[in-house]
Amino acid sequence: MSTEEESDQPAFGRTFRVSHTYRSIIYRAGLYGSVATLLLILAFPLYWMAQSAFTTREGIQDGITFLPTPETFTVEQFDIVFNPTVGRYLLNSIIVTTGVVITVIVVSLIAGYGLARFDYKHKVKVARFLLVGYMFSPIVIAIPLYLIWDYLGLLNRYVGLIIALSALSMPFAVWLMWKYIQTIPTSLEESAWVAGASRWQGFKDVIVPQTKPAMIANSVFAFAIAWGDFTISYILMPSNEATTFPPGIFRVFTSSWETGWAEFMAISLLVSLPALLFAFFLQSYLLKGFKIRAL
Amino acid sequence: MATDLEPLDRSRRFYDDGFSIGRFEITSDDFWGWLTILPVVALYTLVALIPIGFAILASLHSVPLLNPQWEFVGFDNYIEVFQLDRFWGSMWRGFVFMIGSTVIQLTVGIWMALVLNKISRGSRILSTLVFTSYLIPTIIVTMMFLFMLDPYDGVLHAAGSSLGLWDDYLLGNTSLSMITVVIISSWKFSAFVTLFTLAQLQSIPDRFYEAAKVCGATTWEMFRDITLPRIYGAILVVIFLRAVFMFNKYDIIWQLTQGGPGSATTTMPILAYRETFDLGAYGMGNAIAIVMFLFLLAFGLVYLKYANPSEEVET
Repeated sequence: MSTEEESDQPAFGRTFRVSHTYRSIIYRAGLYGSVATLLLILAFPLYWMAQSAFTTREGIQDGITFLPTPETFTVEQFDIVFNPTVGRYLLNSIIVTTGVVITVIVVSLIAGYGLARFDYKHKVKVARFLLVGYMFSPIVIAIPLYLIWDYLGLLNRYVGLIIALSALSMPFAVWLMWKYIQTIPTSLEESAWVAGASRWQGFKDVIVPQTKPAMIANSVFAFAIAWGDFTISYILMPSNEATTFPPGIFRVFTSSWETGWAEFMAISLLVSLPALLFAFFLQSYLLKGFKIRAL
Repeated sequence: MATDLEPLDRSRRFYDDGFSIGRFEITSDDFWGWLTILPVVALYTLVALIPIGFAILASLHSVPLLNPQWEFVGFDNYIEVFQLDRFWGSMWRGFVFMIGSTVIQLTVGIWMALVLNKISRGSRILSTLVFTSYLIPTIIVTMMFLFMLDPYDGVLHAAGSSLGLWDDYLLGNTSLSMITVVIISSWKFSAFVTLFTLAQLQSIPDRFYEAAKVCGATTWEMFRDITLPRIYGAILVVIFLRAVFMFNKYDIIWQLTQGGPGSATTTMPILAYRETFDLGAYGMGNAIAIVMFLFLLAFGLVYLKYANPSEEVET
């Protein structure tokens, strides 16, 4: 603090300076100005997507309007979900995402428990090796995986994509679980053992229920990776029947002139809905996840 | 009852003592520890180690994608890669993209985190938006922005051209397309910096600020002497992570421009994809992937050296 440098001034010198109030006004203006700017930048694209989803194609072509008028309002654009191709992409995405989330939760729970509770040889080395996962680049991995999966017969198979995406989500998930289980006192488990529980029962009945916040954070992050993945699925699921939503809609988007902007915005709104809901209801869990990650 | 307890006893003994195979003493902790980490190690081997090894092997061969006949060519692929004009060009553009988007994300992200940490009203709305931009699929972001920049129906295009900032399709402009891609990716990925920094900011105890206030510190002094030193480490980590992720970024660039117009937004990942799947030179694509991997390895070593993330938290 700079109080020592200004020791020749009266003790409460600052309060007598007029500039203090000015400074506070400038500070408040800056703060709320920033809030307004950031809200505008972040919300505008989302708002624009949402309002266009409810506007007819003619309404969009006629010119820019900030809200659909009664004449141009429609919900017909959402019929694109019943389009067999797009429906197929969505179904594939749902299957793959479910698979990835389940795999990530189970594997990270087991590995996190092991890292937190067993003191085995080379543990720190293994933990560091896990961090190499941060260096996984989807494109660097996907190019060699393409032929490997081809040889193994995993190309265009859900299992192949689920394995690849789970591995991508793993470093963060295992690490989060490890740090989280460390914060659960060992004594809880020990008292269960004393009462006659086996190690497995202690894990299942004492540890697992307590890791709920970490499991929620892990599943949302795994969901974000699997639901949003483009690169891996684009390369490993080349067939049109097997591909997930992001590469699928990209294909429709680059090849078809029949589908209008309003329809793309409608399907975008639907696909981003889970993200919006998670962001609103689960944000405290996610922030906790980041808190542990930043340790 | 006594017979019921016997298997339990035996397993309890096994938990405590472990066993040994020949000279190798395997304690029970070793056994169970390695058993629990095994699925992760197996996944990693399958999805990271084998592909990297496979890529090194493939990069030494000429492999036409449509008819994978492996023909050994030694380092020819690498020599050819380094002689390609488009390789050096895309490396340069890759660095421009990486540095540009990392700087913007860092500035906006930290600004956003500081604001979120200070406001009380409206913080839930703002943080919902931040999380949303982090969680929504990249393809949605791409479609939103492509729509808004559409030369016929796009709102941003109309705004930009009426202000005289640009006339034609922004992403079709050779000199402006890179900066546009950088800004659109920053819209998506700034949230990562924000969340990372915000988590750190919220772990600073309030009493630090109270003590500083009692001593008469101004807001700026509190920021400089309390906040900044506390988030400095997290910022270093986030710079490394963002730089690595942006260097690898393939999806958003491909979706927005496919590397075009011309090669104005062709970064290294785009080049690797094009060589592999458009030109069908699988060995060549793998050589580029390996060059990228070596860059990443260098990054990774620096990251591990400066941030020591394997430290355990104390309970």
